Amino acid sequence: MTVPMLSVSSLRAAYGPVQVLFEVNFDVLPGSVTTLIGANGAGKTTIMKSLAGLVSPTAGEIRFEGEYITHTASHDRVNAGLCLIPEGRLVFPGMTVEQNLRLGAIAPAARAGHSEMLAEVFRRFPRLEQRRNQQAGLMSGGEQQMLALGRGLMARPRLILMDEPTLGLAPVMVKQVFETIEELRAAGFTILLAEQNAKVALELADRAYLLENGRVALAGSGAELLDSPEVRRAYLGM
Amino acid sequence: MKSFGMIIRIALAVFGAAVPFIGSPYLMGVVFQVAMWIALAQSWSMLSATTGYLSLGHAVFYGVGAYVCVLLTGKIPFELALLAAAGSAALFAALVGMPVLRVRGPYFVILTYGLSELVRHIVMRIESALGSFGRMIFDVPATEVLLWWMVGLAVLATLGAYAIRHSRFGAGLAAIREDEVAAETVGVPVTRLKLLAFVASAAIPGAVGALALLRTSYFEPAQAFDPVISFTIVTMALVGGTDTVRGPILGAVGFALLSELLWSSLPQLYMIVLGLTLIVFILFVPRGLSGLFGRIGRAS
Repeated sequence: MTVPMLSVSSLRAAYGPVQVLFEVNFDVLPGSVTTLIGANGAGKTTIMKSLAGLVSPTAGEIRFEGEYITHTASHDRVNAGLCLIPEGRLVFPGMTVEQNLRLGAIAPAARAGHSEMLAEVFRRFPRLEQRRNQQAGLMSGGEQQMLALGRGLMARPRLILMDEPTLGLAPVMVKQVFETIEELRAAGFTILLAEQNAKVALELADRAYLLENGRVALAGSGAELLDSPEVRRAYLGM
Repeated sequence: MKSFGMIIRIALAVFGAAVPFIGSPYLMGVVFQVAMWIALAQSWSMLSATTGYLSLGHAVFYGVGAYVCVLLTGKIPFELALLAAAGSAALFAALVGMPVLRVRGPYFVILTYGLSELVRHIVMRIESALGSFGRMIFDVPATEVLLWWMVGLAVLATLGAYAIRHSRFGAGLAAIREDEVAAETVGVPVTRLKLLAFVASAAIPGAVGALALLRTSYFEPAQAFDPVISFTIVTMALVGGTDTVRGPILGAVGFALLSELLWSSLPQLYMIVLGLTLIVFILFVPRGLSGLFGRIGRAS
C-alpha cells in the first residue's frame, strides 16, 4: 500500500462560534489528483485554508510527507513543498506578471534555480511570457488563473492545492485549466482540487470525496462517485 | 542602479550643502530641520510606503527617544544615549508591534495615532507626578556635532529605505501591500516581515527625537510626543511620493523650507498650507512630487 503524501484526520475548524468542519478525514496519494466536491458552504475552502495554514484547526491532525504540520506557519508549509493556489486567484494586481512569478519563489527552498523555474513556467504557459510586463490586475480571469498557478509552481511544490480554479471562467478556459491539471499530474505533481464543477472534476480524479455540511459524506474513486446515485442526483442534475 | 547613483548624489549634496553653513547659526538650524524631516519621513516610508500600513503615530518613537535621552543624558556619553534612544524606540515597536499590526487599513491608522496619544498622556502623568513640567538639559554637545549626527541619520535612513526596497525583504513587504493573503500563500512570512519593518521604521526616529531634544535642550512631554510630528511626517512622505526613495526627500525638503519661509512672516499659515497641500496632492497628484517630476522628465 502506498503511503499517503497528505493525510487529514479528524479535522475540525470553526469561524468564531460557527463550526464549519466536523471530523474530516481523507488522504492524498503521491502522484494522484484528489478531488473534493460539494456545494457552497460544505467546507471545501476551509479545508484548503487549514491545509495552507491560513485557518487554524480547532482539532484534528494534518500530516504532510510524514510530518505533522497542523500548527506549522504557512510560509514554512510552502517551504516544505505544499502550495495553495487560492480561490479567486489573488494575483498581486499592481505588479507585473514577472514580478508575480518571482515572488512565487520567495520561499528559501525555491530560491536556488528560480530562473530555470521561471523559464519552465513560461514554457508551460507561453501566454505568460508574452505578457510578462503586463500589470497582473488588468489581465482576464483565465490569464490570472494561469498566473496564479505559475506563481504557485515557482515555489517548487510537490503538493499543489487548487481551490476552485475554474470559478468565474469562460468554458474554454475551464477546459484549459483541466488540461493543465492533467499535464501537471503527468509531470509528477500531486494535486488536491476543490471544485464545484463536479462532472469534469470527477472524470479527472483518481480519488474523490463528497463533502456535505463539513463532513465527508462519500469517498471513492472518481468513477465510483460519478456513478453514485446520490452524486448524480444532487450534483450532476441527472 | 541608476536610482542608487541618484541617492548617493543626493546624500553628497546634503553633506555638501551642510558644510558652508557651519558657523551660521540660522542656516545650521535650517539644515538641521531639513535633515531631521528627511530622516523621519524616510524611516516612516520603511514601513508605510512599503507595506501600505500607514502609521499616524510615528511621534511616539520620536518621543520615546527624546524621553530616554533626557533620562540618560549626563549619566552616559552622548553617543551611547543616542544609541539607547534608537534602541528603546525599536524595542517599544517590537513590543507593541504584534498586537498593533494585526489590524489593517483605517484601523491601523487610528490605532497608531491612539497609541501615540496614550503614551504622550502617560509620560505627561509620570512627569507631573514627579513634580516636573519640563526638564532643562545642561551640557549639551555643540550645535555642529548635533548637526552632523542629524545629517548622518538622514543619510542612514535614506540608504536603509533604499536597501529595504531593493531586497527580498522589500519584495515580501510589497507582496503584503498588494494582497496579504496571497503573500501568505506564496510563502512570505507575513507577520515576521511586518514586525521587522515596524521595528526598522522606529529606530531612527528614536535617535532623531534625542538629537532634537539636545538641540532645544528642553524636554516637555506634550512637545516631544506632539501629534503634529506624526501628521507632518505623513504629509511630507505623501506629498513627496511613496513610490520612490527620493519621494520622502523631496517632501521633507519642500516642507522644511516652506516652514522656514512661513514661520518668520505668517506662522499661522503654515498648518493651513500643510493641510491644503496634502488635500491637493492626494486628489490630484497621488504619486507625489516624485511622480510629477518623473512624468515631466519623461515628457521632455
